[in-house]
Amino acid sequence: MEILVPVWPAAETARPPKTRPRLLAGATIALVDDNLDIPFTTRLEALLGERHGAKVERFVKPSGTAPSPRDLIDGAAGAHAAIVGIGL
Amino acid sequence: MNLVSESLSLDDYEQAVELFFERGWTDGLPVVLPARKRVEALIAHVGRDPQESLGPVPPKGGQATIEKLAINAVMGGCRPEHFPVVLAAMEAMMDPAHNLNGVSQTTHMCVSLIIVNGPIARELGFNSRDGVFGNGYRANAAVGRAVRLALWNLGGAVPWDTDKSTLSHPGEYAFCIAEEEEDNPWQPLHVERGCDPGSDAVTVFACEGPHSVFCYGTPAEMLHVLADSMCSLGNNNMHVMGQTLVTLNPLNAEEFAKRGWSKQDVRLYLWEHARRPLSDVRACGVVHEQFRKMERDAGRYPLRYDLDNPTTRLPVTQAPEDIHIVVAGGRSYFAAVLPGWGGFGGFAVTRPVRRPGR
Repeated sequence: MEILVPVWPAAETARPPKTRPRLLAGATIALVDDNLDIPFTTRLEALLGERHGAKVERFVKPSGTAPSPRDLIDGAAGAHAAIVGIGL
Repeated sequence: MNLVSESLSLDDYEQAVELFFERGWTDGLPVVLPARKRVEALIAHVGRDPQESLGPVPPKGGQATIEKLAINAVMGGCRPEHFPVVLAAMEAMMDPAHNLNGVSQTTHMCVSLIIVNGPIARELGFNSRDGVFGNGYRANAAVGRAVRLALWNLGGAVPWDTDKSTLSHPGEYAFCIAEEEEDNPWQPLHVERGCDPGSDAVTVFACEGPHSVFCYGTPAEMLHVLADSMCSLGNNNMHVMGQTLVTLNPLNAEEFAKRGWSKQDVRLYLWEHARRPLSDVRACGVVHEQFRKMERDAGRYPLRYDLDNPTTRLPVTQAPEDIHIVVAGGRSYFAAVLPGWGGFGGFAVTRPVRRPGR
């Protein structure tokens, strides 16, 4: 019996990951704010900067329930590392 | 027929069924094996190009080609004549207004309910009467499961992966009803939403499971209990509006109609009376408040409701039209309310069923 596969083939090539920064101090961190738990995200931003010396660039999603716009993803990709998927 | 999916040659039935579990291609239940012949029969029935795509299925973006949807529909138990309903449901879910990406990944427990209208519902044996949300009817079960399997296999909406629903919903296996149109004094849902009378259509709406409403008596008595059930503080609508669904059984609808109530009269009354004072809503806590603020900042929570005045009475939806009313179930004491996801999406979308040869 010939059975057909129900899934879509996986993409052949994934984008290679960036090299992780060894230290937060001095690194540029993109903080993607899901626009859901704003006080938590604000506190996280402060801790990354004040306690760990990271340079934080905050990107605010228009909606926490929809994918990030392309320009936001491209902007965040310019940092050494990014924090995403904070949710609530 | 030119199909492009990878295929496997398997002679042992048990082994083939188990393979679907091993590969993660099924939702926890065994499937009907998608043999080429069965898949081809579904595609031939609709007469569409197997490689035509309805688009990428969020969140992971597998293409909803007619071929892949037919494979998943066979797995769900569909016969060829069910397939046009599956396609209409997928088209409706993939409309941006439904925000399937969010519905599939939210921590909330909403699932997209499929509501079938038109002569096709009776012809294919969809249940619209006693036990409408339950088991026992192949059309409801097979179409409902076919769609869920497509979201699983093409969208990758899998729990502990992209599906973040913390409690989820039994409708993740299948969530499909038909509206009762014969024993119903009012215009059916799809006609209200712009389809021609006598046409076939599917409406999808992401919602919680049905909450029972002990609803019997005069219109005033029925409205009293319905309105109270709709504005429970635990549902998202009470905090961030969006849309909600009420199912009335045919006896409820008949009682309303006998006393001169149209469906729109019922809707307007419920919108005016399914309300809670801001003081009640605020007592739920700061997180709820934060959501309201976010929705207001996003322009989805109307400014006309004063969020600084504790006596403000907040409705469950922005407008009466966001309360959907469907007639379904047995002639009895019971109606149901199915709250939505809130203002984040899952909104009702209707699409015609394209039946071959019509």
